[in-house]
Amino acid sequence: MDRKQYCVKLSVQPSRGLVDEKFIVLVQNVSPGFQMTIHALHKCEDGHSYEAFAHYTANATGTVNVSEDPSLGGTYSGVEQMGLLWSLRPVPGSKPGLRLRKVNVQTPMEVTISVYQGHQTEGFMDQVPLVGVLVERWYMAPRVRRIPITENGLTATLFLPSGLGPFPGLLDLWGGEGKLIEYRAALLASHGIACLTLDYLTPEITMETGKMVDSQYIETAYRVLEQHPQVLGSRIAMLGLSLGASVTLKMAVYSQVMKLRCVVCISGSHVQPIDGFLEELLNFCRINSETKTRINEEDQVIYHDLLLPIPTDPALKVDVGRLQCPLLLVVGEDDQNWPAYESAIDMKEMMEKAGNSHLLTVLSYPNAGHLIEPPYTPHTRATAFLSVTSVKKVMALWGGETVAHSRAQEDAWRKTLAFLRENLYGSSNCGF
Amino acid sequence: MVRAHLSVTTLRKLIEMKMIPCISVHRNLTCLHHALGGIRWKSSYRQAPLLTAAPARGLIDEPISVKGRFLPPHCPVTVCAQMHSEDGDLWEAFGHYNTTSDGTVSLTRDHSVGGSYLGCEPMGLFWGLQPAPGARKGLRLRKKNVETPFVVHVSLLDGHVSPSERQSTELAAVTTERWYMAPGVRRIEIRQNGVVGTLFLPPGPGPVPAILDLWGMGGGLVEYRAALFASRGYASLSLAYLGHKDLPAPRNRINVGDSYFKTAFHLLQDHPQVCADRVGIIGLSFGVYLTLRLATQPDISPSCLICINGPVGSTVTLSDADGRTEQFESDQKYWVFDDDGYVSFKALSLPANLAPETIVKIEKLTCPLLCIVGEDDLSSSSIECANLMEETLRAAGKHQLFTCLSYPGAGHLIEPPYTPNSRASLWSVKPVKQITLWGGHLASHAAAQEDAWKKTLEFLETNLRC
Repeated sequence: MDRKQYCVKLSVQPSRGLVDEKFIVLVQNVSPGFQMTIHALHKCEDGHSYEAFAHYTANATGTVNVSEDPSLGGTYSGVEQMGLLWSLRPVPGSKPGLRLRKVNVQTPMEVTISVYQGHQTEGFMDQVPLVGVLVERWYMAPRVRRIPITENGLTATLFLPSGLGPFPGLLDLWGGEGKLIEYRAALLASHGIACLTLDYLTPEITMETGKMVDSQYIETAYRVLEQHPQVLGSRIAMLGLSLGASVTLKMAVYSQVMKLRCVVCISGSHVQPIDGFLEELLNFCRINSETKTRINEEDQVIYHDLLLPIPTDPALKVDVGRLQCPLLLVVGEDDQNWPAYESAIDMKEMMEKAGNSHLLTVLSYPNAGHLIEPPYTPHTRATAFLSVTSVKKVMALWGGETVAHSRAQEDAWRKTLAFLRENLYGSSNCGF
Repeated sequence: MVRAHLSVTTLRKLIEMKMIPCISVHRNLTCLHHALGGIRWKSSYRQAPLLTAAPARGLIDEPISVKGRFLPPHCPVTVCAQMHSEDGDLWEAFGHYNTTSDGTVSLTRDHSVGGSYLGCEPMGLFWGLQPAPGARKGLRLRKKNVETPFVVHVSLLDGHVSPSERQSTELAAVTTERWYMAPGVRRIEIRQNGVVGTLFLPPGPGPVPAILDLWGMGGGLVEYRAALFASRGYASLSLAYLGHKDLPAPRNRINVGDSYFKTAFHLLQDHPQVCADRVGIIGLSFGVYLTLRLATQPDISPSCLICINGPVGSTVTLSDADGRTEQFESDQKYWVFDDDGYVSFKALSLPANLAPETIVKIEKLTCPLLCIVGEDDLSSSSIECANLMEETLRAAGKHQLFTCLSYPGAGHLIEPPYTPNSRASLWSVKPVKQITLWGGHLASHAAAQEDAWKKTLEFLETNLRC
């Protein structure tokens, strides 16, 4: 290049942002028309590396602004301000089926963003870039507090926003893999909601006794939140993904103890035996999996049909017609893991018949898959998955096409936050 | 469940009737507290107020956008900032605002009508920080550990109040972090060839341009400006020369000479990640004299110099050819005390009072010089020295090398922006507690820091990058 290397200026603003915050990547002081590759590298906690890259050509002022200029190729193309993050994928040579998830939410995700000369597609690790910066992506805003909860037999973590409070609360449930997943709750607390994430499939008590928890376990978690001095007991919501959504719907409709302001179900279904709880639900799935599991040409497992066809028998689906608070359903139309789309249609019909459909909002995203997560985190179409009902890991197909799925994540998150804000902070007009 | 807008009396009755499933007296009170928390949001609020600050984690020289939303329209509110220094002192600032018709307040758009600052001042909450009432005297806000941020708690209070009323009127709050080090900047302690300093390297493969960073007679090792330069892409070495345990004794004298500063310059220049022909020097206060003296040494060729509020010479004669100076007590004849007993060192650096043989031969300079002057500097004769520098260069036909930025109302301590100025602060505790005058009026000094930093970075960009 004409200009010396040290002329090139790369800046990413903010250099320390929340995971759901946008950033601006700016390259300056190169020659007009200079061809470059902007590269992102992330090494996650388990040691695997992920990368994304895009080809740009500097304009007449020798500048590239990722939020304004089009990528001409790479792991994304066109004008994509956050493409360097959502198009991250395991580096060549990685083992298949990896999924990027932050375990320790108290430290940031570190991404190295570099500029390489020319339009390149491989061999980045064998070269020295022109310039590089380090960017931090945080799940926790400054002074958000993380409090492990083990009282009353719970396996949970509470995240409290910074400040005096009191704050509205939210119960956060994940899916069929179990474990205690903290990052979404941490992020919601960074937006002002006291959030309790609950392990209901693999808590200490189940690991020790071998028995699945009953619905009182969920109600206990609700009470812990409700009675916390920094939580507004009358303003508690519940959010569930996948299997967590099934549990959420069940509790929202049938629990005598839980009085929820609103409910969010992501990639979930109301189809489950209404008698009993987890044990019965998992058995139901296990039985159906024997005949309805599909495997495609790439050996990827599709659980989508397990709950299909949507039953007409009322004993096999949560009666959402009895729901008394607003419900937000988020579904990906290319969900290969769970019939979220079909379930949403059925739930809408049920609520229309019962006369409470004014409580329902459905966000349905074409070409989005099952794992609709906070934005700007990478999408994977299939990953290695060990559900609590199986003995071996399979390659589960989640579905979704990367660009559409990433847009869905961004849109759904924004609308979920607005829905929660509206219902948790709005005037008290609920059914009780 | 209890609705948020019930009266306290009704709530008490409900508790007595056991309609709220509370088990103990403590629980009763807790439930009452929950409900009261809801009541705290007045019925005029459709939604609870929200306060945001972006970026929540920013660099010290990055502006923050503070906004309040979901407030009633045309309502008085106070935005308040509070933080504890590393020594545990409480600093605070506040502005009185009125929300607009859409129920918002934005510090980048709206005008403060009272408090620590007036008018539209997006960063007033930061540069306007002052020690809280009852604090110790003579405080100055400086970060010692640059690897951690300043944590500033920003809150939105009901009405036009002062920060001490925070507890009862807080509507919303957000915590912000202000960093001197960007992610990936490396901090390296330097104790090599007798040199005592700290090197900050930006992330990335390098090589990069570099800056040697010199402070004043306060001594010690001041790291924060060098850390910030590294966060802006320059390798930067902050150099100690006085009052540091790793330097030759005694601590109250400068026991190093020209060779020390030359060694430090070469150390920086020769570092594998530094572009050897792109090294600049910055000095504040006595550091200006050292900068100019170093720049005129043989085989020292900096690419540019920045001199902030400092002298062109020294008040004591040199004790040996190596530039070692005597004890500073002999300077005391130039100390001037005001009615409060605060001392001004300004006369020390009046050109007429400087020892002629110490006056740096500025006509020998060959690189651009940016001179920054605070016109209310009570510690140094900055204007007179800047004039002398300009005249000397003009007489030598080198006027094109000289740029001067002169700021009315600014004091001695022109530092990175959005940090508060201290008009006076504690200088020494032994043999007596002595407070020294720096000068500078809060708002004009803040404006000077912001402009000077921006121009400093531009000057470095032009002279060290391309």
